[in-house]
Amino acid sequence: MKAEPAIPRGPLDPRTIIAFYHVDLRYRDQTALADVSFSISNGEFVCITGPSGAGKSSVLRLITMDLFPTHGQVVVRGMVSTTMKRSRIPLLRREIGFVFQDFRLLDDRSIYANVAFAQLVVGVPQPAIKKNVMRVLTQVGLWDKRDRLPQQLSGGEQQRVAIARAMVNSPKILLADEPTGNLDPVTAQEIIDLVFRINDGGTCVVFSTHDHEIVKTFGQRVMVIKDGRLVSDEERRVPDRDRGPRLTDHMYRPGGSDA
Amino acid sequence: MLRRAQIGHLARESVAGFSRRKLTTGVTVLIMGSALLVLALFVLVALNLGIVLERAQASVDLRVFLVDGLDDQRVAALQPPFLALPGVREARFISKDQALAELRRDLGDDGDILGVLDDNPLPASYHLELAPAYRSTASVEAIATDLRRWPEVADVVYSQAWVGALETWTRLFRWGSLVICVIVLVAAVFVISNTVRLTMAGSRRIIEIQILVGATDGFIRLPFVIEGVLHGLLAGILAMGALAIGFRLLSLRLEGIEFYSAAQIAGFVLFCAVLGLLGSLAAIGQYLRVRRVG
Repeated sequence: MKAEPAIPRGPLDPRTIIAFYHVDLRYRDQTALADVSFSISNGEFVCITGPSGAGKSSVLRLITMDLFPTHGQVVVRGMVSTTMKRSRIPLLRREIGFVFQDFRLLDDRSIYANVAFAQLVVGVPQPAIKKNVMRVLTQVGLWDKRDRLPQQLSGGEQQRVAIARAMVNSPKILLADEPTGNLDPVTAQEIIDLVFRINDGGTCVVFSTHDHEIVKTFGQRVMVIKDGRLVSDEERRVPDRDRGPRLTDHMYRPGGSDA
Repeated sequence: MLRRAQIGHLARESVAGFSRRKLTTGVTVLIMGSALLVLALFVLVALNLGIVLERAQASVDLRVFLVDGLDDQRVAALQPPFLALPGVREARFISKDQALAELRRDLGDDGDILGVLDDNPLPASYHLELAPAYRSTASVEAIATDLRRWPEVADVVYSQAWVGALETWTRLFRWGSLVICVIVLVAAVFVISNTVRLTMAGSRRIIEIQILVGATDGFIRLPFVIEGVLHGLLAGILAMGALAIGFRLLSLRLEGIEFYSAAQIAGFVLFCAVLGLLGSLAAIGQYLRVRRVG
């Protein structure tokens, strides 16, 4: 048996919003993550990349405390995975927005209802819900389409609804699990731009993708996970706030083949 | 604690879910209602058998015939020991003359036939009335066996030997009903739990999103608990309604049978709601144990 690694002595850096300490995660005999340690600060933009099945989604699920480490500790917003009460997990999740590759919208409800749903379940009063939903749907440019059903929107628009839903409770963290996986490069770039704007507003973003082209567009910190191990964690310095090349850059280049 | 906005949302979701799944709801209520009808019917028959048995037992009394030739003093002296017997509430003496007069009265117009008798052949007797708790066949037999050993007693007769048979049948029926009721109850809970499980599977996406945005377990569970309870309530009302109609038709032909009292009906419907609750809790427990966000 491996001893439980303790949180380092002394107070955590007050800027730290997510911290992994020697995290192992095993499903039966399979190792999903092995000795993963990192910390993410408030307002930071972090890209997690690696091949499919490398353990990216597991990292995100550990952050929402949907999974718990087999060994090690995860600390999110000061809540420690090894000591926190299970009944407090919903409170933690209210501070985390989550978007997925497959949008996960309620197909039988309007766009407005989909976004409002996230507020209803946590007990926000109706007048405030209307104000908040209007704010986020305007932010993602879909207020005019609020009465439509998800199926009446394009993939990119559906993902924007999902982002609006994730942001309506004003979370401190936005987790994006392959949010552009189902989208064409133009739409994917729009979603990435939207996520950048959210990050500019002060929300910490953890963006997971296996797509190298997308990673290249990021001028921030990129963590690479392979076979459950964190093999690289580097800060990129791009002076331009536009974060580097864009997915669509080579699309319009004469002779461009992979658009 | 749930906030007002959450309660309103839950109420709307529950009602909407219920009406959205009219067919499933209808079929579940029908199946569960039929099962509960069987249960209610067996309990009702058992109750009525109990009433019939009680009435039959109420008419059970012992007649202790005395040997001929006892003087008045000895006859009178028998009353205290009779009353001292366990369960004997009253001991009424019937003299030979009274017995003859009774017989004459019972024979009515044919009473003249007694005129041919030279002597009164009827023995003097004591009529022993028993307390309700001592009216079972076993108890009556025990008292009779004891009395037959007394030298003053010529014979002991007790009415309605069929009460013993009725007791046996009632006991058998009650045991049989109990077994059937347990099976029906398990089936009813199973039906509800399956329906709620299906509803939960159908609401997988909603549950997933609720978990994602930080709904508490209680908040996620409540609509399904309400659904289970409503199913139970409706099935209980259906079963009781069908039984009441059937009873009404039958009571035109069969006198003396009784239906459930208002309190028993309310208790039954409430019991069905509890079954619904148990069914939904079983389903929810199983479902949420395997839930995952990702």
